[in-house]
Amino acid sequence: MYEKCRLEEPGRMRRNIDPCILVIFGATGDLTGRKLLPAIYNLGRDGTLPANFACVGFARREKTHEQFREELKGDINQHSRTKPIDEGFWHHFQEQIYYHQSEFDSDEGYEKLALFLKQIDNRYATRGNRVFYLSVQPKFFPIIIEQLKKHGLVYNVHEVEDRWSRVIIEKPFGHDSQSAAALQGEISKHLDESQIYRIDHYLGKETVQNILVFRFANAIFESLWNYKHVDHVQITVAEDIGIGTRGHFFEEQGLLRDIVQNHVMQLLSLMAMEPPVSLSADAIRDEKVKVVKSIRPLSEEDLKETVIRGQYGKGFIHGEPARGYREEQDVDPNSKIETYLALRLFIDNWRWAGVPFYLRGGKRLPKKGTEIAVIFKDAPGVLFNMHGKKNDPNVLVIRIQPDEGISMKINCKVPGPSSPIQPVKMDFRYGSYFGQSPPEAYERLIWDCISGDSTLFARVDEVEQSWAIYTPILQYWSIHPPTDFPSYPSGSWGPKKADELMEKENRAWRLL
Amino acid sequence: MITPQVVQPRNIESELIKLWESLSKEKLRACLFNLMVVNQLSPRTSYIREIVQKVSEKYPCRVLFITVDSDTKKEGLTTAISVVGSGNIACDYIDIVASQSELGKVPFVILPHLVPDLPILMLWTEDPSIDHPLFTSLSKLAHRIIFDSESAASLLAFSQKVLSIKKSTDTADLNWARIEGWRDLITSLFHSGRDPNQIQYMHITYNARETEVFCHTKVQSFYLLAWVASCLGWKLQQASQACDFTFEGRSAKLEKTEWEELGSGMITAVYIETEDGVSFDMSRIHCEPHHVMIKTSSKEKCEMPYPFVLGKTATGQSLVKEIITKGTSTHYLNTLTAILALDRGGIC
Repeated sequence: MYEKCRLEEPGRMRRNIDPCILVIFGATGDLTGRKLLPAIYNLGRDGTLPANFACVGFARREKTHEQFREELKGDINQHSRTKPIDEGFWHHFQEQIYYHQSEFDSDEGYEKLALFLKQIDNRYATRGNRVFYLSVQPKFFPIIIEQLKKHGLVYNVHEVEDRWSRVIIEKPFGHDSQSAAALQGEISKHLDESQIYRIDHYLGKETVQNILVFRFANAIFESLWNYKHVDHVQITVAEDIGIGTRGHFFEEQGLLRDIVQNHVMQLLSLMAMEPPVSLSADAIRDEKVKVVKSIRPLSEEDLKETVIRGQYGKGFIHGEPARGYREEQDVDPNSKIETYLALRLFIDNWRWAGVPFYLRGGKRLPKKGTEIAVIFKDAPGVLFNMHGKKNDPNVLVIRIQPDEGISMKINCKVPGPSSPIQPVKMDFRYGSYFGQSPPEAYERLIWDCISGDSTLFARVDEVEQSWAIYTPILQYWSIHPPTDFPSYPSGSWGPKKADELMEKENRAWRLL
Repeated sequence: MITPQVVQPRNIESELIKLWESLSKEKLRACLFNLMVVNQLSPRTSYIREIVQKVSEKYPCRVLFITVDSDTKKEGLTTAISVVGSGNIACDYIDIVASQSELGKVPFVILPHLVPDLPILMLWTEDPSIDHPLFTSLSKLAHRIIFDSESAASLLAFSQKVLSIKKSTDTADLNWARIEGWRDLITSLFHSGRDPNQIQYMHITYNARETEVFCHTKVQSFYLLAWVASCLGWKLQQASQACDFTFEGRSAKLEKTEWEELGSGMITAVYIETEDGVSFDMSRIHCEPHHVMIKTSSKEKCEMPYPFVLGKTATGQSLVKEIITKGTSTHYLNTLTAILALDRGGIC
């Protein structure tokens, strides 16, 4: 490693990161066009990338550098948060983008890649530093990593000190405990944990990062953040879209694997964790792991009664007819795959004893929205409960997306001689305060990886612990297939059983 | 109100943002609750719009105004957005017009546009005793349903329906709110020392002038009688189509009058006699109809007449009152229960 420059002021120098080459596997895929290259373009345009930088797309299709660049230009124009493309910047920047065609398991392809990267090193003085982004199907992860090691493209951290190599692995990391352990076993033969960056793009969102700031930089909330004051917590990841053209993928994954086991659990652990001893990657991740470890395992009864799955049928989204999941492209007409999941968890630690955490995620719900809602306990009703009706509880909502912000519901006296009480909202909106559109999650995460900061990436024990909670659900489902699918119309808030789960406990799901 | 602009349902929120951005210097966007309004397209629609506008001026809210157009030959669902409010503070107004065939879509259009964490009120302007494809789905969303018994073809069926609604949902009725002033007045008469159980005879006069919008003019007077009967435990013995009621040891009568300046169905006068010979003659004052002149007399003396302010009679005031009230009035529910007996013969 290079010694840190003494001119660097900690926390102030964003530009002082190592030069490197970013190699994207699966460069012709959807994610690359929609997210990765627009993110790299914006990082470059904002002047955040290292001065010595190049990007190589790796994929199986035949393509020239020029064709690849032209396609990317179209993608950036369509998907970048800053539009239209800055022609002046792009004209120079595109020269740093290349394409390399190969099968993922071809020795020859990797030999050529190694040579090609050396040439680029020479051209851009990228010093042998590499980020490999695996935006491919999970089955290719071990194959690619083995090939990278075999051809000297990733380095042994104990032997090589003057350059570095890091690998970003897209989710899903395994499809249950066993497969995650097997995958980890395979890749750890070739990579040290410090080289593995398991991406969950939710962690790159500004609003998710703000959870820690909100909790630990504001004294007033932290004192309320426990079983004494919190009645329950609801975490929702709702999408109004269906599965689109991802039928094959979704038939293998289902919603639990696609959203809940990763995104929702990341939100849960950030929301519920104890204050870390520092802001170092490991200090934060240690605390997150502790929370997930404290989650009470689901009993047979829980699996039956408090884990609710659903699948969308026909309905309407924004007034337009929407087809059912089973009518989607590349989906089995008798599919048993879940597109909705709601469940109740308990965290058996001092802070959260007895507080239910209700998690839900779903496709084809009425609107897109991700949020954490903390519902506080009722105020004693001796003074202001009218006509036997309780006042609404205080609710603190952290809106992750869209309309990013934080709101607080409080009760207020309606002006006038009588004293009716009305719930009102105090609302903070990122857009209103900060104006500019926040950087995309992928921008932050790619930049963090280049910087060697793994805070916002999942560590292996986080992934293992999360699978330990969800694998029993998958096993239970494999023995007990659903009998009521499709169980909710597109455009509704999910199956009735999910509402009943809450009603039984005198609670209700929030409307987003 | 800004001229509504037609937008696609999926663009409602984004177009509202644009609309507010264009108004940012003039108006402040506010919202205290969601107000879903359901009505059948009819001459009554403009009246309902008027009262909703009054409410939104008093209490800014997100209005979701659903109009069912049963007569149209053109099938479809259209949505439009606007901004409503007086002064600097204003609120969102979302219009949804659906043909009968498209009603199934309406709940799906509504759902994404309810502002979370704020109460959801539903003004159901149709007769709830008649099955309506939207009632079940929308009432599930509502914390409070406000009916207008003016729309009820049968007050008996209306009462049965409202009483069957589960206790967790608040219910209210515009006609119940419209007689609040009279209820306050009668309560105040018996507030200090006089025993209401002494009431022996009650005569209620109401404005029977029908309009395009109001035709069930008897309802408010019926409510007032049923309220007194339920509060005092009167047992009905006989009721005639001419609105003569006989209770055990008591009697009551509802009588029509016509008063051009006063709202249809409004009570114009109440006369009460007690067992000990005291009478209360309470009549609205013609030049100031929200004032009542009270004349109290007994065998021994006549008191000096004195006025009582009933409250404003302006359009929309009863809805404004009901908006911020919490819970379901137990008196209202008891009144409806009394109506089950009083209106057995379908008088109202």
